[in-house]
Amino acid sequence: MRNYEIMYIVNPNATDEEVDKINGQIEHIITSGSGKIEKIEKMGKRRLAYEVDKQREGHYVLFVISANGDIVKECERRLRTIDAVIKYITVRTDEEVRRFEKIRNYRQKRAARRGSSAGSAPNQSSEEAMQ
Amino acid sequence: MRSAKEKRPAGQKQYYRRKKVCKFCVERIDVINYKDVKLLSQFVPERAKIMPRRISGVCSQHQRLLNHAIKKARNIALLPFATE
Repeated sequence: MRNYEIMYIVNPNATDEEVDKINGQIEHIITSGSGKIEKIEKMGKRRLAYEVDKQREGHYVLFVISANGDIVKECERRLRTIDAVIKYITVRTDEEVRRFEKIRNYRQKRAARRGSSAGSAPNQSSEEAMQ
Repeated sequence: MRSAKEKRPAGQKQYYRRKKVCKFCVERIDVINYKDVKLLSQFVPERAKIMPRRISGVCSQHQRLLNHAIKKARNIALLPFATE
């Protein structure tokens, strides 16, 4: 299981119900394939940075899921076939999160070491002055 | 230490260039998210090109992450490839 973010843009002319219907379809693919949905975020209507399919706006939808590659593949296939979806992107996030945690742990450890040595080491203030 | 280094002989024109620092290191932003348009757009000037490191002062590690994030954001039309 890996963590992914699937983001797609739905045609601005689509109604809210149509958007919800597409969301339901994607949700169904994920849940029926033993994937887990962590978050569905409707980011609303936004201006696109450039023209896509002659549209300048679009409904953005974001799915945060943890699933296998097969499910993601199926989602992408489905998104490609739905005409109202004008663009989509899938991003794998677990590697980035792991990296972030590593950095944070390192930082905490360093902060702890600093904190403990402040009492015992008398020459700490001079060290700081050097820097 | 620094003040001694910056002192120049008399007669030479003096100007101090402020040392550039990496915004992400200073503010401790570890993950550069492609959805954060507000942050990313600080590094794409008018022509929508990615700002070089020598101008923005971003460190190499963060520049790489920033690059990836901007390119992802371009892919999903959050940022432009070029301005028309």
